[in-house]
Amino acid sequence: MTSPPTTPPVNGAPLAPALRPLVEPAGELSVQEIARYSRHVILPDVGMLGQRRLRAARVAVVGAGGLGSPVLLYLAAAGVGTIGVIDDDVVDPSNLQRQVIHGGSDVGRPKVDSAAESVAEVNPHVNVVRHAVHLDASNALDVLAGYDLVLDGTDNFATRYLVADACELLGVPEVWGSIYRFDGQVSVFWPGHGPLYRDLFPQAPPPGAVPSCAEGGVLGVLCAAIGSVMATEAVKLICGIGDPLVGRLLVFDALAMTWRTVRLRPDPDRVPVRDLVDDPFACVVLEPAPSSGEVDPTQLAAMLAERDAGTRRFLLVDVREPHEREVVAIDGSVLVPVGRLVDADGTVRPDILVWLDELAGAADPQDAVPPALVLYCKSGARSARALAALHAAGRTDAVHLNGGVLAWVRQVEPEKPLY
Amino acid sequence: MQVRVRYFAGARAAAGVEEEKIDLDDAGAQTVAVLMDLLGLRHGPELTRVLAACTFLVDEIAAPPERELRDGVQVDVLPPFAGG
Repeated sequence: MTSPPTTPPVNGAPLAPALRPLVEPAGELSVQEIARYSRHVILPDVGMLGQRRLRAARVAVVGAGGLGSPVLLYLAAAGVGTIGVIDDDVVDPSNLQRQVIHGGSDVGRPKVDSAAESVAEVNPHVNVVRHAVHLDASNALDVLAGYDLVLDGTDNFATRYLVADACELLGVPEVWGSIYRFDGQVSVFWPGHGPLYRDLFPQAPPPGAVPSCAEGGVLGVLCAAIGSVMATEAVKLICGIGDPLVGRLLVFDALAMTWRTVRLRPDPDRVPVRDLVDDPFACVVLEPAPSSGEVDPTQLAAMLAERDAGTRRFLLVDVREPHEREVVAIDGSVLVPVGRLVDADGTVRPDILVWLDELAGAADPQDAVPPALVLYCKSGARSARALAALHAAGRTDAVHLNGGVLAWVRQVEPEKPLY
Repeated sequence: MQVRVRYFAGARAAAGVEEEKIDLDDAGAQTVAVLMDLLGLRHGPELTRVLAACTFLVDEIAAPPERELRDGVQVDVLPPFAGG
């Protein structure tokens, strides 16, 4: 009597069993292809059959940025037959520190074009489909339908939830990776086979609650560590080899240089995704705040001139972190990081408010012309959050700078650095 | 009762430890929310701020703040981030 083979246990719990290959093999490879892929062809478990599966595979890569760069280059080199590149952004000088698929001469060009040319240079056998579109609820299913596998390396929560929900609806496995500062997370969400993104993170955090890489920074080479795991999982899923990263989240700490494994199971109480919605929190970021609650850079410049002339009184509050202020700041502002101003539960700290009012020196509230407080951050997201808390506390005499210090530099002080 | 808490990424940085055992009062319901408060008091405002956005996996399943904890469970604390 023999029992069926089982996956050996690791740390006492079985890994997800190897699943059947995602993709049926393509026809015979050409002589040139066999020569190019010979190190795969002689590799047990990949072999000629696996290489033909890679040739037939259609893989969508969402985001041609930090994670998309190594993912695209390695999937191209591995011989994935069709790669869809989804990105509506253009290459910015600040991308080049980590987005190695783009070069200095690509600055200002659409990322899909730059990425497609790099892929063609690495492997002309790859068919690249360029999707220079902004994914939203109206087009995500159309764009992603027809792909065997989706890799998510985008840079914002709204798109991540959209992509994860679309994959859940389409039943397509998603290789998911995410980075911030020195940390990375990577997993595989495969509908019907294990937990999905919303089992791990049920809802997007409110805007401003979690800083982005643009606000908090990111170690460039971190993209290689997480992106290479993503590409590895993609190849394994396509060929049906090994133990996929289903039901496991790997957490990488570049400073400690550790990979820790978090086991994850589906939440039995979670309601399955039924429709795509543009994330409600995303709208808060995209739509301008009420005009009464914000000032433009040119308005602020005029207000500061009036303050210098003694005809206006207000306090300009920088709600960013100290290291950001070292890069660039608006003259005549005070630093109060948003975490000092607003508690974790979203309420304003009264002691800080008293201190700010003392600094503002509102002599007689009767004479004061609002606003008394003007908040700014890098892009306007954190200051919007702080503003909402101030308004909730009844401080309707506070406004924030639309577009943050980035807009300020572009419109008022272009000689100052951007970051 | 006692639970094992493991911190990841920004939560690990804010807590200053990778993992720890936390003793909870046996009297009354001990929930994820109670644990959050306790961890915030123990490690300070920076962790409190991070915890507000974190997922709490209780024995590998995401748990809402009102979920009751049992003796011996493992709680994994994971901050979300979306960089790419």
